[in-house]
Amino acid sequence: MKFILLFMALLSFTLRSQSLEGKIIDSLSQIPVPFAEIYILELDLHTNSDEEGVFSISTELPKKFQIIVSASNYEFYKTTLSNTSSERLKIYLKQSHHELEEVTVSGPKSTLQRNNAVHIERMNLKDLNQIATTTLGEAIAKIPGVYNTSTGLGISKPVIRGMKGVRVVSMLNGLRIENQQWGGDHGLGITSLGIGSVEVIKGPSSLLYGADALGGVIYYVDEKYAAQNKTEFGFSTQNESNTLGTTNQLWFKKSGSNIRFNLAASLANHADYRLPDNRFAANSRFTDNSIKSSFGWNRKRGVLNVRYTYNTTNAGIPGHSHDLVIEESKLKVQEQSREQRLPYQDFQNHYLSVDNKWFLEKGEVQLLLGQTLNRLTEFEEKLTIPGIKMDLYNSLYHLKYKRIVNENLSLIGGVQGMYQMNRNDSKASEVLLPKSSMLDNGAYLIGYYNLKLWNLQAGVRYDQRMIHTDEEFKGNSTYNETYEGLNFSAGAVRNKEKYTYRANISSGFRAPHFSELLSNGFHHGTLRYEIGNLNLKSENATQIDLTFERHGDHLELIVNPFYNYIQNYTFINPIDSLISGLPVFVYEQLPDVQLYGVDFGFHFHPHFAHWLHVETSYSFIESQSSRQVSLMPQNRILSGLKFDVKDILFFKSNKISIDYNYFFKQDNVSEIEAKSPFYQLVNIGVNTTCGKKGNFDVNIGCKNLLNTEFIDHLSRLKNIGLESPGRNIYFKLTYQFSN
Amino acid sequence: MKKQFLTIGLAASAVLVFGLTSCKKEECHECHYEMDGQEVELGEKCDDALEELEASGYAVNGTTYDVHCHEH
Repeated sequence: MKFILLFMALLSFTLRSQSLEGKIIDSLSQIPVPFAEIYILELDLHTNSDEEGVFSISTELPKKFQIIVSASNYEFYKTTLSNTSSERLKIYLKQSHHELEEVTVSGPKSTLQRNNAVHIERMNLKDLNQIATTTLGEAIAKIPGVYNTSTGLGISKPVIRGMKGVRVVSMLNGLRIENQQWGGDHGLGITSLGIGSVEVIKGPSSLLYGADALGGVIYYVDEKYAAQNKTEFGFSTQNESNTLGTTNQLWFKKSGSNIRFNLAASLANHADYRLPDNRFAANSRFTDNSIKSSFGWNRKRGVLNVRYTYNTTNAGIPGHSHDLVIEESKLKVQEQSREQRLPYQDFQNHYLSVDNKWFLEKGEVQLLLGQTLNRLTEFEEKLTIPGIKMDLYNSLYHLKYKRIVNENLSLIGGVQGMYQMNRNDSKASEVLLPKSSMLDNGAYLIGYYNLKLWNLQAGVRYDQRMIHTDEEFKGNSTYNETYEGLNFSAGAVRNKEKYTYRANISSGFRAPHFSELLSNGFHHGTLRYEIGNLNLKSENATQIDLTFERHGDHLELIVNPFYNYIQNYTFINPIDSLISGLPVFVYEQLPDVQLYGVDFGFHFHPHFAHWLHVETSYSFIESQSSRQVSLMPQNRILSGLKFDVKDILFFKSNKISIDYNYFFKQDNVSEIEAKSPFYQLVNIGVNTTCGKKGNFDVNIGCKNLLNTEFIDHLSRLKNIGLESPGRNIYFKLTYQFSN
Repeated sequence: MKKQFLTIGLAASAVLVFGLTSCKKEECHECHYEMDGQEVELGEKCDDALEELEASGYAVNGTTYDVHCHEH
């Protein structure tokens, strides 16, 4: 995590109408700062200073805009400028030992992390991959309070403070990702390709994201375009011993003065994973392929971004058996294979978004239109006849107006919604959900007020969700229902010198999902017969979230307690019945559930040893209800030591990372759930840069170094005793070229 | 140099994209059905024949048996 502070002495500035020029200077030594990044937030446009610290950006500048300057080993600089003057900019940066703070974009207003009244956790993917991860799901599970529920390595989805599936909203650059996330065995639907950072809002966030954002929001942000008038090309290959897996990525970026584009592609192929006892988890193999493109165009009065991502995942379903007593030899096999076999899932996802921003005299208007398609096919008994085949179409809009009333007060209002259609393919042997559609519409208003050391934020939002089925379904007549939600959020943050104090109260709601209302059929991926419940009510949640942060030169500290009260908590429960040999599960509700806990973290960077970083986070969560909620994550301590090592021969920027992760035992389980013992993992990684121009990055390391035998509490393979992967040695090579 | 660089980048991207959308190979599998608790092998079946067999089953003396073409 980067630690970024702000210091500036702006001697004089003015700007030419269509160009921004200046120099970056070290405030102490007065020498130029080379290769600093200068980023214009509104235009998503950046450039770098040259060896003399000089930079120049030629483009159509909006009347008012924010620039952010960052450089290695310097504090962060951010200010708002106007395009009405014509003198050169001089920016003085103060040296810093470590950087932590960056601008977050997942809120309605892009701002420094520290100034957010809502606590937003932001991590660069590169930092999460200091010790390489196999999947994006594994990477984001390193964020405090965020976990990963998985079916082997190929299928995983995020968990925020114990909430997952339809209670967590995933966004890709503002585009909501809908991919049948109600299914316990349905994965994330995107890969790490082209993702630059991840932002997490923990807890109810309906004010910003509407219905379903009850447990939190994961917001994926793409990598930046190439610097202005630059071209970049790169590839990476990651190889892993455990799965004999490879992940290869290739990208190309080009930016002109006003037009830029990115192209990228990725192929990943993994065989069955190796267990600590050297056997293999049968049918845990998977492939994951993606292409990604984005196009940006800056004009005097606005900026346009068009993005398209395609992802296809083919994942075997490990641990699948119809036998009442499962033979261990069928789950854990002697031979490793990557050949496709039954049962397996095939996911295809298309994500298209068109995002346009218009700059006004005192504010801006932003319109995002999107279209997504999720095509889910599950093959269970037959090779050519799918068990389930469903298409989920989602059309989205978000219109936002930001008005700067005065230098202290700004207002943001917007309307947001989506139209979703679920369609079944007649070729499938089973229909789990009827042909149905859903229409969401919401309107919100948020106010921001700056009062000396305080930033205040408050807002209210109304949402309506209409659910409609187009056909009778297994004895049920057509279904039409409207659900409404009125939500709010209010918060304050106070920054004084090294300290940040933040308090926020927010609410969220989640109307019942199609699957919870209308399911009636076999879900082979989860090996059960699922029956919906038409009497379900909307879930409502209210959370209080407090944060205390200390930002020192050598010690960064954060304490983040929370309390979340959820009404009408929906869960799926087995009844004493079998249909065609599979257990029957029905959807039910608990009147209320209380979740509470704390995320705690510190980053120690001792003055006497600037080459050393000590980082620790502790995530604690408990639940209370009339009946224990299932799949509450294990409390955990993630701790890491990072050493900066001097250059050795042609190896530069050398870093050694050692992680020690302790997962506490989980005894608070529901009636149908197994308890989990504690476990501990040690991971190690070495990162270095080499080549004349530093074009090559080499990462090598080992995960689960001690080959520990463990099953994470959120693993869907827990109940059949199928362990998580054993030791995994990896090697990653990245080549990047820029001119 | 700039043009070469652009060409290389675009070509490499195109190769990968084409790689992602390459043609499917012929799919053949050993098929069987179960009769009186015994597996009866039907030999290797491919593509359309495989699909037809899985969809319609295999008829023996007026009885149609469900066919499976994989190890499960």
